[in-house]
Amino acid sequence: MIALSELESCKVLAELLTNFIPGGVIFSIVERDTFVWVKASSSFSIEAIKVGNKLNDNSTTMQAIRQKEVLIHNIPRTVYGKRVSIISIPVLDNNGDAVGAFSITIPKLHPVAAAFDDFAPILAEMFLEGAFLYMSDLTKIAYAQSSQKFDLPSVKVGNDLTDDDIAYHVIKTKQPIIDEIDASRFGMPLHIANFPLTDDEGDIVATIGIVTPKKTAFTLREMSSNLESSLTGIAAAIEELSASATQIHSNEEDLNSHIKEIIDISEKINEVSDFIKEIADETKMLGLNAAIEAARAGDAGRGFGVVAEEIRKLSAQSKSTVPKIKQLTETIKTKVEEASQKSNQSLDASQGQAAASEEITASIEEITSMSTELSNIAKTL
Amino acid sequence: MSSLELVVFTLGEDEYGIEIAYAQEIIRIPERIKRMPDMPPFMEGVIDLRGKVIPILDLKKRFSFKQTERGLDSRLLVLDLKGILLGIIVDDVSEVIKLEEQAFEKLSTEIFSLACNSVEAIARIDNRIVLILNSTKLKEELVTKWHNEE
Repeated sequence: MIALSELESCKVLAELLTNFIPGGVIFSIVERDTFVWVKASSSFSIEAIKVGNKLNDNSTTMQAIRQKEVLIHNIPRTVYGKRVSIISIPVLDNNGDAVGAFSITIPKLHPVAAAFDDFAPILAEMFLEGAFLYMSDLTKIAYAQSSQKFDLPSVKVGNDLTDDDIAYHVIKTKQPIIDEIDASRFGMPLHIANFPLTDDEGDIVATIGIVTPKKTAFTLREMSSNLESSLTGIAAAIEELSASATQIHSNEEDLNSHIKEIIDISEKINEVSDFIKEIADETKMLGLNAAIEAARAGDAGRGFGVVAEEIRKLSAQSKSTVPKIKQLTETIKTKVEEASQKSNQSLDASQGQAAASEEITASIEEITSMSTELSNIAKTL
Repeated sequence: MSSLELVVFTLGEDEYGIEIAYAQEIIRIPERIKRMPDMPPFMEGVIDLRGKVIPILDLKKRFSFKQTERGLDSRLLVLDLKGILLGIIVDDVSEVIKLEEQAFEKLSTEIFSLACNSVEAIARIDNRIVLILNSTKLKEELVTKWHNEE
């Protein structure tokens, strides 16, 4: 109980204390049923507690005045929007009548919530990939703490809890939930753990959650999938390569048979040129015999002798083409044999190529199976 | 004899010429030459040339060449040596050529008799040297002389 005369000292004391009480406090003085003096910490205020406002008859303060008793009540969220404790001390005049009250309103916070701003910034940085911590009351996000490496900018203090939020389900089921959410909601897969917080009576009053990114796992999975698709590309390219090696192989075989044909043909050319030589020999003999006949005929055979001479010249010319043809066919043969040698070399090379691409295919199969394994590991992270 | 027409043929690497008047024709060497018994080695035998039987002689053998094999160009030159028709086997009949008298160089009688063969002159055609055969001597050498030697 406070005597009216002591009220001024209380005010002085209260004014000094307001900003020293962790979590905040509101000191107020009521005369009869109206607030006449209110002093609140900068971090805490209640709209209804204001100079000039009248008090409800059922309020703790009015009860304390009526009963002339110091009352300490816990006020549920429904009254002021936040849970508070109120201590009301009646003020007595010289006659011992209660004419008002000195009230202290203290926010009632779960110890975890009270300490959130102290531990959350530290805890959030303690995770390798960063973490996001948050607390909710029964309907809204109440606290949020991001880390340097990780933030959920869309989760803001004041956001209403919806069916999509884990906290909503924790409140509903009264059970902690540890879960994963895929990339569809926040752009990357996340680990999320949410626990219910209860008051002294065991009722759920809040939840606390911690969200960590599965960034490494996500990157790993993405990389292994990229790897897999590149490998598929490489495998296809190698298949093409070995197909073209097969093509080269069959081309070279064709080339070899063509070369054999060319050699056969130049043999035939030689046969033809032998035939030309034979005809030239025959013609020469004919020319010589004609010359002999012309000589026998004396003057009468002179003209015939000229023809015979021409025939002999012609045969000599025809015959002279024979060694030239032979030389050409020999050149053809040499060149063609060179070509054949080269084609055999490229045949060998293409066989080597085919063998090498088979080896590469085997290696790629191995890498592909490793990347599948990698992808599986990433899923379990 | 201001100019002379010659049939030129080769024996080995040497060229020989005979007056065209004595040449009758040139043919390929027949596959079948009928051998005759008890004949000198240069006598190859006889053939039937359009109904006439003519003896065949290997001139290289007669002239004592060491290499006497035949080639693709070997021919039979049929000669009419003053009534005697005979064929001589030569390596090639190369041409019929007309030469002026200045191109000939007669061999001296001494050497002529020493050689004891039918070469009577040498003709120069550009850088070539052609040995000219005397038909009378050749006839002797081929037909008569052999028997005398025996």
